[in-house]
Amino acid sequence: MTTLLEVGSVGRAFGGVYAVRDVAMAVAEGETRAVIGPNGAGKSTLFNLISGHLAPDHGTLRYGTRRIDRLPPHARARLGIAIVFQGARLFHGMTALENVMVGAHARTRHGFLSATLRLPAHRREEAEIRADALAALDRVGLRDWAHRSADVLPLGQQRSLQVARALCARPRLLLLDEPASGLRAGEREALAQLVEGLRAEGLTMMLVEHDVAFVARLADRVSVLDLGRLIAEGTPEQIRDDPAVIAAYLGEEAA
Amino acid sequence: MSVSVRNSPRSSGAHAGPARRRRPAPATLGAAAVAVVALLVPVLLPATQVSVYVLLLLAAIVVVGLSMLMGFAGQVSLGQASFTMIGGYTAALTATHGLPTWLGLLLAPVVAAACAALVGVPLLRLRGHQLAFATLAIQLILLSLVGRLEWTGGDIGLQGVPRLQVAGYEFAEEISYAYLALGALGLVVLVTRHIVTSRPGRGLRALATSEVAAASSGVPVAVYKQAVFSLSAGFAGLAGGIYAFYIGYVAPGSFPVLLSFEYVVMVVVGGAGTIWGALAGATAITLLLQLLNDIGTREGMPASAPTVLSYAVYGLLLVVVVLFLPRGLVPSATAWWDRRTASKPMEG
Repeated sequence: MTTLLEVGSVGRAFGGVYAVRDVAMAVAEGETRAVIGPNGAGKSTLFNLISGHLAPDHGTLRYGTRRIDRLPPHARARLGIAIVFQGARLFHGMTALENVMVGAHARTRHGFLSATLRLPAHRREEAEIRADALAALDRVGLRDWAHRSADVLPLGQQRSLQVARALCARPRLLLLDEPASGLRAGEREALAQLVEGLRAEGLTMMLVEHDVAFVARLADRVSVLDLGRLIAEGTPEQIRDDPAVIAAYLGEEAA
Repeated sequence: MSVSVRNSPRSSGAHAGPARRRRPAPATLGAAAVAVVALLVPVLLPATQVSVYVLLLLAAIVVVGLSMLMGFAGQVSLGQASFTMIGGYTAALTATHGLPTWLGLLLAPVVAAACAALVGVPLLRLRGHQLAFATLAIQLILLSLVGRLEWTGGDIGLQGVPRLQVAGYEFAEEISYAYLALGALGLVVLVTRHIVTSRPGRGLRALATSEVAAASSGVPVAVYKQAVFSLSAGFAGLAGGIYAFYIGYVAPGSFPVLLSFEYVVMVVVGGAGTIWGALAGATAITLLLQLLNDIGTREGMPASAPTVLSYAVYGLLLVVVVLFLPRGLVPSATAWWDRRTASKPMEG
């Protein structure tokens, strides 16, 4: 299998303390990779390094054949990296549909001038974005909310809306930062089925998650971080039996 | 041209669905009414009052742009009158150097936008208060420069700017400037609406909430902020250009810091990030200023009364609006209307 994302021993410190230290991993095309670890293990920092919101102090990031560690976040989005944030990062004062349409920014190009002049090509692109956004809303079960303000959505739907926004970008690599946290059982199951569907379609995903059952069901491989270091990597079964992991993470859960 | 002022940017974002086509939405009817009134005002007003209307329209042109900058890019410019000034001087310099006046009107927004693009590179790295003070500083520097330089006419400014001529038609009457300014405002509103309701506009509205999330969706945050800054400066420059031809002279005193504050107050009172808010804010404050001016220039009032009154009322207005209507007149009114009609599906 070809590698889509190669994290080459990256490190990032905050005030002298390493949040991520010499972490190296390779995510294959089509793989679903879970990243787990106790609080403060560096999972979110790692995601921020991949999405470009943080620059690494050292190390490289390779996406396909390109070095991306010096690219700004919007340029990485244009290369097909989409992220669903942990909190509800929705855009206020916009409808659910408009929120999802923003996701298409990464792969569309019409700017201020063609918008002002309403060129035919611009109208066509707008119609396509709109259709894609409606399809994405459909996929996460939010079609009926399309024309309502995103501000009034309940938490579960806000998460789904973020997923729809990410899907509207037609990503090659989808980062999901604790997508199931705060969701009720039914919402969690719907999310799991959605992720399974995307996995079946061959989308490469990285997933930070605390819920072990969720991870075991969805992930092909699991990377375990503890105190900023990668302490184990393998299939969910291998990870379950790894003594280092049990000590660092699962041990706490079991206690 | 102002018939295109059809919808608020919020409600038009979700292109009218089939249900809304059947009968015109209240917003459409309201906009049509406003457009008709705007077209009739110059004819109905007594000739001595038309100048107030022209200045109101020119302020509205600036405020639509500033509202976009403040509402979407989240940047406060306390020196927006610098760009009105650049536009005014560009038009005046072009016209007084024997070049066609229409060229001056064309160059005014272009030069203002270009200047904004230039200063925007360092300025837009600043945030919040820092940017506000930096823009204010720019205006103070500009005022000081223009007041000293010979080719800008120093403190006296440039006198004898000829009347605007386009294709043989001379804008000579007060009323012709009213329609010129109205046309320019219509154009500015149309451009703004087109941008706000399309791909770049969605990107702007997104970054107003979260620059991080917007960037992750592929929005080039810095470039977009820069573009809105230049666009808002271009609008201000256009207003300044018309002003130069209308008044017939430009001087540093025509573009005081107080004018920049006035624009900001108009945006805040009307509600940042909405076209209707900009129009409402410009109208409300212009009328209020007119009233204050009447009071301030009454017999027995000190010469400084109008200025002192304006500052006091701006301060008071800002405090009151921020305390009681933090989102401004128009968004507060829209929210109230949405709550009343909450049973229907919301369109924003």
